[in-house]
Amino acid sequence: MNERNSISYENTRLADYTYDDSIERGNVDIPFTMLSLLLLTIGVVMVLSSSYARAYYDVEGVTGGNGTYYFVRQALFALCGVGVMFVCSRVPMGFYRRVSFVVFLTSIGLLVLVILIGVVGGGARRWINLGFTTFQPSELTKIGVILYFSLLICQQKEKMKTIKGLIPFAAWLILIFALLAAEPHVSAIVIIAALGITLVFVGGANLGLFIGGAVGAGVLGGLAYAFLPYVRDRISAWRDPFSDLADTGWQVVQSLYSIGSGGLMGLGLGNSRQKFLYLPEEHNDYIFSIVCEELGFIGAVLVLALFALLIIRGYWLAMHARDRYSCLVCVGITTLFALQVILNVAVCTNSIPSTGISLPLFSYGGTALLLQMAEIGIILSMSRDIPEQK
Amino acid sequence: MAIKRKQKSGPVSPNTMMLRRTLFLMVVCGIVAFLLLALRLFRIQIIDHDYYEALAVDQQLRETTVSAKRGTIYDRNMNILAMSASVSNIYLSPAEMVMYGEDPALIAEGLSQILDMDYNEIYEKCQNRNSWYVTVAKKVDDEIAEQVRAFKEAGYQTLNDDGKPVTRAFQGVKIEEATKRYYPYSSLASHVIGFVGADDYGLAGVEYYYDDVLSGTDGRIVRATTANGTDMLFTDFEDYYDAQDGESVVLTIDETVQYYLEKHLELAVENYDLQNGAAGIVMDVNTGAILGMASLGNYDPNNYLEVDEETQERADALAEIDQETADAVLAEARNAQWRNKALSDTYEPGSTFKIITLAMGLESGAITMDSAFFCGGSMMVAGRTDPLNCWNTGGHGSETLTQAIMNSCNVALVNIGQQVGAERFYEYARAFGLFDKTGVDLQGESNSLWWDEDTFFDPYNQSQLAAASFGQTFTITPLQLITAVSAAVNGGNLMQPYVVSEVLDGEGNTVSQREPTVVRQVVSEETSAHVCEILEQVVGNSAGTGKNAYVAGYRIGGKTGTSEDVVYEAQTGTKRYIVSFIGIAPMDDPQVAVLVLLKAPGPNASTYVSGGQMAAPTVGSIMADILPVLGVQPVYSGDEAAIVDRAVPRVIGLDLADAAAAVTEAGFTYRTVGSEGTVTAQLPRSGSTIAANSEVILYLGDEEPQESTVTMMDLTGLDYESARIRMGWAGLYINGEGAMLSGSAYVTRQSVPAGEQISVGSVVTVSLSDSSNLGRY
Repeated sequence: MNERNSISYENTRLADYTYDDSIERGNVDIPFTMLSLLLLTIGVVMVLSSSYARAYYDVEGVTGGNGTYYFVRQALFALCGVGVMFVCSRVPMGFYRRVSFVVFLTSIGLLVLVILIGVVGGGARRWINLGFTTFQPSELTKIGVILYFSLLICQQKEKMKTIKGLIPFAAWLILIFALLAAEPHVSAIVIIAALGITLVFVGGANLGLFIGGAVGAGVLGGLAYAFLPYVRDRISAWRDPFSDLADTGWQVVQSLYSIGSGGLMGLGLGNSRQKFLYLPEEHNDYIFSIVCEELGFIGAVLVLALFALLIIRGYWLAMHARDRYSCLVCVGITTLFALQVILNVAVCTNSIPSTGISLPLFSYGGTALLLQMAEIGIILSMSRDIPEQK
Repeated sequence: MAIKRKQKSGPVSPNTMMLRRTLFLMVVCGIVAFLLLALRLFRIQIIDHDYYEALAVDQQLRETTVSAKRGTIYDRNMNILAMSASVSNIYLSPAEMVMYGEDPALIAEGLSQILDMDYNEIYEKCQNRNSWYVTVAKKVDDEIAEQVRAFKEAGYQTLNDDGKPVTRAFQGVKIEEATKRYYPYSSLASHVIGFVGADDYGLAGVEYYYDDVLSGTDGRIVRATTANGTDMLFTDFEDYYDAQDGESVVLTIDETVQYYLEKHLELAVENYDLQNGAAGIVMDVNTGAILGMASLGNYDPNNYLEVDEETQERADALAEIDQETADAVLAEARNAQWRNKALSDTYEPGSTFKIITLAMGLESGAITMDSAFFCGGSMMVAGRTDPLNCWNTGGHGSETLTQAIMNSCNVALVNIGQQVGAERFYEYARAFGLFDKTGVDLQGESNSLWWDEDTFFDPYNQSQLAAASFGQTFTITPLQLITAVSAAVNGGNLMQPYVVSEVLDGEGNTVSQREPTVVRQVVSEETSAHVCEILEQVVGNSAGTGKNAYVAGYRIGGKTGTSEDVVYEAQTGTKRYIVSFIGIAPMDDPQVAVLVLLKAPGPNASTYVSGGQMAAPTVGSIMADILPVLGVQPVYSGDEAAIVDRAVPRVIGLDLADAAAAVTEAGFTYRTVGSEGTVTAQLPRSGSTIAANSEVILYLGDEEPQESTVTMMDLTGLDYESARIRMGWAGLYINGEGAMLSGSAYVTRQSVPAGEQISVGSVVTVSLSDSSNLGRY
């Protein structure tokens, strides 16, 4: 790796994406790769365990009573995902920087498209039907925001410290929120908002702004609680899910039953009882509850620890990035993972009000998994530029 | 782009601020948040584990009960007194109705028709949407259950997900097996058998006392199910607990003995206008086995809540004014009919207790068979201001011990009691088991009540001892008395009474067998033999006070008793009598004791209120019926042979000479109708039991008995011979029961009332009673 400093992008084009180029850039980060693949493997196994009952009993539905229906599809996507990760890790960071605006605009275009031709599910229009599977454009928007905002931050340079320099970010975010609100897709708004704020934060915006923003958000929240009955209902349903069994309270209560039943050691892999149609979304948003039930406190904490290590490693990589763009992209993707894991587990444990956020690498969903693998691939790509420490 | 940027300025490394802020994110998102989540998991999974697990298991497990078959109750001859038959409970699962989208209206419609129930009532039950179990009908017969099953399977038409019409069974309608208790003999021995409540738990009698034995253990199937109620896949979370059928019990009760006991008690209730029913016990004196135990009024264990019509009408009338009062009336009537008077009601035994005083006098040596007494009609007792009167205030004069008991003389008994002494008296009473419950295997046994030692032993006030000597100022249960008397006549052993002799398993194999339990020997065999000797005279001697219990052919002994119902008097202030008799037979080898209590004879009683006039004949009738059943054969003495009723032989088909010989041989006279040929008909028909010396009519050749009727005459007050002759004039026959041997016995009742039309040649049963020497003895 002695040639690292002499790496030149002069001839770098997508067509030049070769083995030699890889050697030249150094190796992908092994800990991050291993953690990702380990979590992916556990996740796919948990999809098998958690979805089997649902798939088996759904004789008249899509699975036709085939218990491994979801597992097989998820496993295939996972294999493809590994390939996608591999490819993405080969692509130099410069490429991502070049296509960032295109990806960003495409994702916004798809957000518009989904409002026009999207598939309705659960009272919201969030999916585009690709024929063999469905696809949530908001997932693409997340990576779009990361790629483009990172670039924008690099371009704004010192202007990041001024309010004026933040206007483009705010403008884009408001546009995206408007489109997402039309679906509606609250959890995506929350995550993209958090991503935007995080990137701007790391990108150098004035710290006072965040303190002010936090205070403002607190006041707004207080006002919402005081004057909007819907918010109050939502909060009280969260504090006492047993009071509202007919609605979302049912999911939360069933999730708590699952987690609580697990105890220290769990019921054993495959032995969840709550997955037998009691717990809704058991291979999806609430897959972590099944992890807790089957693997117990020990298993759940182990999975959380793996995620924590992945995230810590992600930030570590960001801190060692060779250039700011890589750093910001890495922070963005890592934060995206962190947010989704934390929010998902918090929902499963009823630590925050229920909202539909899936668990990365675990929750069933093909395109989302492919995107997550691509995101991991991007981090791996930037990791290759890190000078080896001796 | 990259090239240009690089050529201008080169890639810019992240500055310190970026690194610091990234580090901040790492700490917050990578460590702090995860620690908080782990803490949260710790709380849910470790601290609140039990709570959530219980709730989860509660919804995951469906428990189905497999009811155990309750054991059978047999009498000693294996007649079935109580048995269980399988029936079904119908219930709804409204939760599943919601889950499968079943129409409650359809279900309510169908079930209301099959079960003959109100549509709205069932529809209401369907609205209990979170419930998996709402009972609709309990214990319906298999036939009805089959209809419900057919209705459930026929189901309803609907469309499946593809829009095709399909028929689906009603998942919300459920049928479960249950059992129902039947008592084939209805009210027979109801107080011994008891009854079971709606949930098959024994609530009274043997059903209660042996509930653990009879009930067995319900089986359970615990299944882990999906939210849809179907079995979970691949779980070993399924447990079967086999139902353990209950064991059966064999009672010492003899159905036939019980039948006669109840029959004669019912007759007594009718004849003596008994206001508070009657109680009776038949006991094997040698083992303590209870052969029969009855308490009137009784109830039908099949419908144990049903009260007599009169009370029900009264309650119905009251209900229109005040439901609460009506309910109270019903509750009181139910408690009264469920109460086993032979076991739960205590009373002053009165003169029947003199058997015990006699036994302790002989055993303690205070008196001998040669002791003599003098009764002047009353006597002074230390501690009493007024003299203590004998029931015969005229006095019995000089009497031997046997005569004193025959006369039921209070004065003589007080003498015996005084010679025994208060302390010894108390000790013997205790030894006879009169201070403790007998320990019979039935629920509801009451405690006796005696004066405390200080009062009883007071040398300056012997009034308690004196009264106790002839059975007053203490209360015991009828069962205690018959148990004590059995000890006095069976050779001296106090037995523990019992009603269950054997426990059988489902295949009829013996699980356990009850051996007679000797509590203790109270008196010697010699004393016991003397007691028997004397008691036989009470009944068998025409001067005895118990002669109305006499049964020709049997050596019966016993003792009368007439006492005031002190318990009732203490409660109400009203005076009424309990008349009683305890009979023992046969006296040469005592086998069986019969105690009868007739409670509160009313104004319409057909005879003088005393144990001798009412209870003695009742016991006599019971003995006459049950002794043959128990295998005790009658042996007639010379005197008896002349008078006793006998069976008419069959002579149809014989020629006159043979027929006449047979009839004469049997102890009858005869006359003929027709002149020649063989006997073609006879009156009365063969096998009828009629008085000796009655005239049998033999029809010869073509002659036939004429169908004609006569008006029944009133035989009351006639002696037996006169009654036979008078009836003979009318072409009627009699047979007798009661004190037939006594020279001063007269007809008190007849089985066909005077004035009724009756076919010539009929046999009428008359009851004879000796009413000389009336008194409250």
